[in-house]
Amino acid sequence: MSFLFRCENIGKTYGGVVALKDVSLNLESGQVHGLIGPNGAGKSTFIDVVSGRTPGLGRVFFEDREITGISPSAMRRAGISRSFQRTSIFPALTVRDQIELANHGAGGGNTDELVEMLGLGAVLDTEAEQISYGQQRLVDLALALVGNPRVLLLDEPAAGLSAPESAVLSGHLEEIAERWNVAVLLVEHDMDVIFRVCKVLTVLASGRFLVQGTPADLRNNPAVIEAYFGSTA
Amino acid sequence: MANQTLAHSFRESPILRPSGLIVLAILTATVAILTVTGSRITLSLLAQATIISILALSVGFLARTADLISFGHAAPFGLGAYGTALVFQHGIPAEVGIWLVLVAVFALFFLIGLVVGKLNGIAFSMLTLALGQFFFVAISKLRAITSGADGLTVSLPRSLFGLPGRTYQTPDGMFIIAAVILAALVILIYLFEASRTGRLAIGVRENEERVLFLGYRTKILKAAVFATSATIAGVSGVLFALYQGFVSPEIVHWSFSGNALIMAILGGSLAVWGPVAGALVFFFLREWLSDLTEHWLAVLGVILIAVTVAWPGGMTGVAKVLRARISGRGRKGGGK
Amino acid sequence: MIINALNGLVYGSLLFVLASGLVLVYGLRRVVNFAHGAFYMLGAYIGYSVAIHAGFLPGIVVAAAALIAVGVALDLVVFRKLADRDPLVTVLVTFGVMLILEDFVRTVWGTGNYAIDPPALLSGVVQIAGAPFPIYRLFIVLASAVMAGGMVIWLRYSRSGLWVRAASHSPVVAAMCGVRTNVLGPLVVGLGAAFAGVAGIVAAPFLSLNPSMGAEILVMSFVVSVIGGLGSFGGAFISAMILGQVQAFGVVYLPEIAALFPFLLMALVLVVRPQGILGNKV
Repeated sequence: MSFLFRCENIGKTYGGVVALKDVSLNLESGQVHGLIGPNGAGKSTFIDVVSGRTPGLGRVFFEDREITGISPSAMRRAGISRSFQRTSIFPALTVRDQIELANHGAGGGNTDELVEMLGLGAVLDTEAEQISYGQQRLVDLALALVGNPRVLLLDEPAAGLSAPESAVLSGHLEEIAERWNVAVLLVEHDMDVIFRVCKVLTVLASGRFLVQGTPADLRNNPAVIEAYFGSTA
Repeated sequence: MANQTLAHSFRESPILRPSGLIVLAILTATVAILTVTGSRITLSLLAQATIISILALSVGFLARTADLISFGHAAPFGLGAYGTALVFQHGIPAEVGIWLVLVAVFALFFLIGLVVGKLNGIAFSMLTLALGQFFFVAISKLRAITSGADGLTVSLPRSLFGLPGRTYQTPDGMFIIAAVILAALVILIYLFEASRTGRLAIGVRENEERVLFLGYRTKILKAAVFATSATIAGVSGVLFALYQGFVSPEIVHWSFSGNALIMAILGGSLAVWGPVAGALVFFFLREWLSDLTEHWLAVLGVILIAVTVAWPGGMTGVAKVLRARISGRGRKGGGK
Repeated sequence: MIINALNGLVYGSLLFVLASGLVLVYGLRRVVNFAHGAFYMLGAYIGYSVAIHAGFLPGIVVAAAALIAVGVALDLVVFRKLADRDPLVTVLVTFGVMLILEDFVRTVWGTGNYAIDPPALLSGVVQIAGAPFPIYRLFIVLASAVMAGGMVIWLRYSRSGLWVRAASHSPVVAAMCGVRTNVLGPLVVGLGAAFAGVAGIVAAPFLSLNPSMGAEILVMSFVVSVIGGLGSFGGAFISAMILGQVQAFGVVYLPEIAALFPFLLMALVLVVRPQGILGNKV
């Protein structure tokens, strides 16, 4: 079984600070792969480098073809999509217009099912700056989900959501991965979401790979516990 | 409101479209009345004002669509004007020649747009000033082609686009021609904004990064918007050359660009028709004030400062407030 | 050859002093002052009027003092009040200020050209590589070096210079450390304006005075900044030196189109390296 999306030795240095070093991970279709670690572990940086948002080291492969260094827009057209930790949407456009924009850019298709699943039907004709924060997070996610992407890189989609909202989101993520056969990389702090949805976890600490395993395995892993609660800040 | 961006004051609002048509109707009626009852001088002024309002429209279009302020739109304007003079001078068939000029302006500014697309707002503005100066110097110095400061005469063909050449140089004739072209351009811009490409342009303006991550190549769109704005300025230049029968380097000077910019700001960009209103007011204000004072430059500076600081929406902002008051509708959700 | 290079050095030094003023204000206030060229022109005309009555040095002093006052006023009345709004708003206002100043200069001094001789002490020539070279032009280089050098020393080694650098780099963090941008503002903008004004009067014997000198030098300052990288002193230096040489040699060998070279160079830089020679990635 080959992996749909492979990242090899991803690294990033800001000036003198090594934010990420030699982190590798692979994504499989139909599965949610969680990326966790304490604050500053480099999780968002990982997604930023792999998605082409910021330059960095390492190689990226999609369907066994190397795609290192291609532009974000080329990546999206190939079917690799991402969402953003800090909501990145279009305040002046209505929800309908921006989803339509994303849909057109990704190759078209029916968006009704997605809109219904995310519960955005009621606010379709409202400008994005007028809707609630939680709904804006969902729009951010929707923009990444339209057009049947093959790979999804999600950067803390539950950030700022309430507990019930996060629970609903987890359900959506599970459904998306399995029903649509998408390979999902999920960066999250919310452990409830992680443990519910992820089949496999990679743990980062201080920009380096720590350990990989199933949620059950890692729950009691001493290295993981130390990374989160240990003496280093 | 902290951090009120220029984009906030340039935001398009669906409410304005019907009222835009009403304003256009009022403007047309006023102008029609003036045409019938007014003096020849007024008519000539109106013709010139209408031509220049197309230039102001081009500046406003760029501001509204891309949130970019150009200090150098006299450059495409001047190229349109000089281009017209030159194609007539070299005996190129008139209609073909004019289309050629406009296509050339589009192509040139598309290329320039590709290069300067990476620049942010202020750097872009600085660049447009330099660009304008570049063309001013080029046109002034390349005497062999442009006769430098002496300027070029525009020898009108016997007939142009089905109308006798002479019509283009009569105030009533040119006024109608310019007004029709102006109206057509305004309608085209409205249609553009309602289209998917128009919404994409809003997207690029608001959050270019996300647009890239949605699979679009934004460089081309931005260059196309810039080139379109330049071509509209070029149309104004063509009409100017036809009407005046003469072109000289002054029309490429930065002060000419500055005037167009001030017209656009005075009129405001909350609605597509804003710069047109600004241009008309500017023209008549200048006529009226130049009798009273020699300090037109300083007056201009004061107007620019006052409108930018106190009424960022310009005349369209005032119209919007009036409309809201009349219809009794308050604005829901602050920050708009 | 050497004479051309020296002339290039003279012009380049002036460009650097002007661009430095722009960079200084941009660093602190994040605004490009479109009135900067008008400051240069105002300094030249004021300095000229004082000089023909009271001597060259008093001309420089009065020009500097006047421009400090104008700069301080600009910061207090415009930059500070509009600090919360889109920087483009402030830029437009400075453009308006430029129009007002242009009108002022035209009103007081008319639209003719003025020439001014260098002070007796500095007139005359010096033999360099067998050719005569005006002493005054060497003075221009010296004066520019003193101004620019003084500013660099101030920024690097003084406390207020440190504050300015901190506030320019990270206004929020600097504020948290007690640095008050609103106090530094008038200082910096006044200094930037004074630089422009002094450059104007110092350059006057070399470049003469005319009503379009403000706009011309403004455009050149922009070209220097774009090529060097907005916000970078080092970039402005390299860029000014290059442009000075381009201008000096261009005028001699290809006079008809020499004026176009700076723009073509700028276009080249924009294609190859849009952030400028030493600018930060956009």
